[in-house]
Amino acid sequence: MPRDSLITSENDIDVGLDLAEDEDVLASEEGHERERHRGKRRDGDREKRKREKRRRKEAHRAEEGEDEVQTRPERRERGKRKRAKNDQEAKGREKDEAEEQELEKLKEAVDDRKKLIQGLRGKPFPMKKKLVTLRESQEFVEKYEGALGKGKGRKLYAYKVMMTKKWMKFQRDFENFKTACIPWEMKIKEIESHFGSSVASYFIFLRWMYGINMILFGLTFGLVMVPEALMGRPYGSMPRKTVPRGEEASAMDFAVLWDFGGYAQYSVLFYGFYNNQRAIGWLKFRMPLSYFLVGVGTVAYSYMVVIRTMARNANESGVGDDNSFNFSWKMFTSWDYLIGNPETADNKFASITTSFKEAILEEQESHKDDNIHLTRFLRVLANFLVLCCLAGSGYLIYFVVRRSQKFALDGLENHTWWERNEVNMVMSLLGMFCPMLFDVISALENYHPRVALQWQLGRIFALFLGNLYTFIIALMDEINLKREEEKIIKFNITMWEVSLYNGTVSENSTAPSITIHPADVPRGPCWETMVGQEFVRLIISDTMTTYITLLIGDFLRAVLVRFLNYCWCWDLEAGFPSYSEFDVSGNVLGLIFNQGMIWMGAFYAPCLPALNVLRLHVSMYLQCWAVMCCNVPQERVFKASGSNNFYMAMLLVILFLSTLPAIYTIVTIPPSFDCGPFSGKNRMFDVIHETLESDFPAWFSKVFSYASNPGLVLPFILLMVLAIYYLQSTSKSYREANVELKKKLQTQNEENKRKNKRAALKAQMDLEEARKTASQTAEQQKNNNASLQDQEADEEEDFSSSQRLNHGKNGHHPPPTAGDRQLPASRAPAPRTYHHGNHGAPGYLPGFSRQSEPRMCRVPSLQRH
Amino acid sequence: MVSPAIALAFLPLLLTVIIKYRYYFVLLYRAVLVRTWKDCVTGLTREERAYQYVLTHATPGDPDSILDAFDVWCSKVEFISNIGPKKGKILDRLLMEQRPLTVLELGAHCGYSTVRIARSLPLGARLYSIEMDQRNAAIAEKIIRLAGFDDDTVELIVNPSDEVIPCLRSDYNLERLDFVFMDHWKKCYLPDLQMLEGSGLLGKGSMVLADNVLFPGAPKFLRYLRKSGLYEWKIHRATLEYSKGIRDGMAELVYLGIK
Repeated sequence: MPRDSLITSENDIDVGLDLAEDEDVLASEEGHERERHRGKRRDGDREKRKREKRRRKEAHRAEEGEDEVQTRPERRERGKRKRAKNDQEAKGREKDEAEEQELEKLKEAVDDRKKLIQGLRGKPFPMKKKLVTLRESQEFVEKYEGALGKGKGRKLYAYKVMMTKKWMKFQRDFENFKTACIPWEMKIKEIESHFGSSVASYFIFLRWMYGINMILFGLTFGLVMVPEALMGRPYGSMPRKTVPRGEEASAMDFAVLWDFGGYAQYSVLFYGFYNNQRAIGWLKFRMPLSYFLVGVGTVAYSYMVVIRTMARNANESGVGDDNSFNFSWKMFTSWDYLIGNPETADNKFASITTSFKEAILEEQESHKDDNIHLTRFLRVLANFLVLCCLAGSGYLIYFVVRRSQKFALDGLENHTWWERNEVNMVMSLLGMFCPMLFDVISALENYHPRVALQWQLGRIFALFLGNLYTFIIALMDEINLKREEEKIIKFNITMWEVSLYNGTVSENSTAPSITIHPADVPRGPCWETMVGQEFVRLIISDTMTTYITLLIGDFLRAVLVRFLNYCWCWDLEAGFPSYSEFDVSGNVLGLIFNQGMIWMGAFYAPCLPALNVLRLHVSMYLQCWAVMCCNVPQERVFKASGSNNFYMAMLLVILFLSTLPAIYTIVTIPPSFDCGPFSGKNRMFDVIHETLESDFPAWFSKVFSYASNPGLVLPFILLMVLAIYYLQSTSKSYREANVELKKKLQTQNEENKRKNKRAALKAQMDLEEARKTASQTAEQQKNNNASLQDQEADEEEDFSSSQRLNHGKNGHHPPPTAGDRQLPASRAPAPRTYHHGNHGAPGYLPGFSRQSEPRMCRVPSLQRH
Repeated sequence: MVSPAIALAFLPLLLTVIIKYRYYFVLLYRAVLVRTWKDCVTGLTREERAYQYVLTHATPGDPDSILDAFDVWCSKVEFISNIGPKKGKILDRLLMEQRPLTVLELGAHCGYSTVRIARSLPLGARLYSIEMDQRNAAIAEKIIRLAGFDDDTVELIVNPSDEVIPCLRSDYNLERLDFVFMDHWKKCYLPDLQMLEGSGLLGKGSMVLADNVLFPGAPKFLRYLRKSGLYEWKIHRATLEYSKGIRDGMAELVYLGIK
């Protein structure tokens, strides 16, 4: 932000330079400011001013045509000419001295201006004047800075100044260029100005996600898919790379391809296509090793990026506490300065006022706490309802997955499209509709909106997670089924091979070159490809649902509302259906879970990152368009400054939860025997062992085996844990110190405030007393017999003032505890009541003791809440 | 055929819609279904039924009891979109503060708001009430008389507002309107307001109060207010009369005059 403002302001100055045609205009604009500066160099002022004027005019004329650079030599030339003329005229050193003096003065003036520019921010000028002054001074400095150097150094100095200027300009341009290079920046800024930063934060998150997926895509595409496609064995050379004979007829049908069967299944997109050949092509590319390392690397990279971003965000957010100065925060920080749309500004204004009202109400409520049982009951009821809903959705998914297995056993061809896609449909629909229900249910609970949002996010999270894990559990069942099937098939294949071999041997022993087309070879079910396919289908259906919801729920609704509004009996735009709002939390969660599925499935379907990049790209454009076209700004526009790390934390949790099943399958389940890069091995990670043994020298594998010895690994882990513990405890102590310091600052502040107030009070009291004595003397002059009451009052006045003085003494050293601080507050009203009790005339005493004292006491108590 | 599981997945949506828009469903039931049913059964209009109820349950000559009877009927028996007790309080307060001498009411309906306004008028003030529908006007007349307001205080004009406003000055010798209350067709808010501006009846400090600007809503009216600098305006947010969950508002405009 400061960089931007700097750039614009400097640009403005450039413009201002061109615009400032004449000095007179400027002088009229801002006369006395210039006068003040000129007053410092009064002698010889007039002459110089004339010269200045001439010089400036000429310089300006030159600037109009050419560049600034060319004016400088000219000016210097003019200076020389002038000097020569002077020499001619006076032939003496006096003139030179005068010149020197003048230069000195000029330098002083320039320094003054520079100082002014630096300290301008703190000056108590109005903004307009500040701007004018800044422009003026910068112009001045720019004009005369180059002329300051002496003799030989002058040229160099001018050159240096020019170069720094150029360099700054270049830097500025480069910054602008860099900003222009950030993808979708303008779009996001526009959305931000219309919808506030919370909606924009979603898009920034989306962009960030896009970046990560680009890298994941680069890894899988560059190190797995392309090498296999270029250097691996071509399609049709092996059974695993060929569509089986039975499926050949329908392998190119769109319906089959859409389900990622047929030719799509037997391609580089899925695990099963890869061969277990150790090195492929002339590069001797270690395919299985690369496959494994890329799988591990994507996950590791994701962890690294997420954690790094979290740490950075945590640093940026600082240690602001939102709880202690509720009203001050609201007062000074609730405006979103990025809003550029009047309607959003209206909404923001309304939301700030309502938030104030709510906060005040809340403050009042917090003292009351009535009907707590009803609230508690309602909250428990709401949670119960949500749990029921979660259980219901979980059961529905389980039921559907079970049914789909039954369908799969029957043969998918016998069932309709609806039945085949039931699982994905149901999952998407539940994921879409249940959050709405949660939202409605949460109205029961009567939480503060911030808390309510967190609950809502937590519930949606639980729902998504439950659905995902139900899906995975069902998938595990299916994997086990497939492995049973695999065993049988493996046995059958050996029988088949034996019989084939026997047959050939018995028929003609001389020619064993009987070739069987790879499409005819029987093969195992390849559970890895099945898992990959499931995930790809899930992603596709999820994407489709998102887009269709967008088109129907937002676009169609907007169109209907807009055009039916002309002939409808109530106001559709402001009333019931209205335009939709952008649902930040739902969208963010959708994105996060989508990413989780990518992480889970990427190992078995290398095409997933590519698909996801595509999806994110499309959804960036589509959602940007949809937001601008058919959504309205939220009614409660809230700032998203703190939510970024919340998203990140959720992402981390999802990352962990999604790598869990992937790692579990990799570690515990043996790979299929006839498909994939690890076929024939006992476990997938054996590929590391194999590489170590065959590709590295013997000593290396020895070292590695030592290093992987539990005796070495365990102490290392222990050390790491200790280090983490140490770091955490130090950071904790730092945080505590911070809090301590903040408290100190706060108390000091309060102290100062109170001191000031007391001084003001005292001054006022003195004034009042003086006035009173004056009036009393007048009264005494008028009426000699002074009443008894007056004397009494005087005494009391003394008493109360001494009381107040006592407070003053109390306050000078910082009070150690809150209770001590409260002491004057509780004591202060006492003499006042005494006064009132004694005399029937409340107007007698000076008014301040009644008004300002309670206020003084309330200040700390308000801040403490 | 869609499988039952997919149909079940739509259950949360159904529940959401029902819970979220329950007030609107209740309103639909009370304002439309019950009304048509009763219309068919009794053969009377809704306003006539309300009048009968008020006649039997209120004390003649006592505006408060008439208003109470109306409120009870509208919240317990059937639904008529009167201004209602809550928003009525705002209206009362504004009238008390403003002390208007000439009041124009657009849309008397069955006289509830007329009685409400007339009740809190200062002495010597006069209320012109415009109602378009003949039958409603007859009932409003009866209600007003029942509340004890005579012709000097309340004058009921049976004509569409867009016909009456241009000739207010000539026919009724009006110079200036101190207070205008709008509660007729929401689409007529804007044209009527512009007509009032054009007729020159609004003076500096005249107040216009428009009911139901959020629900059913008068968006063009509000948009016009935002753009024209003629008024100092704000919206009193409240709920729809005799209903808790539907948000509604009254726009309070103070005419600043042309500078």
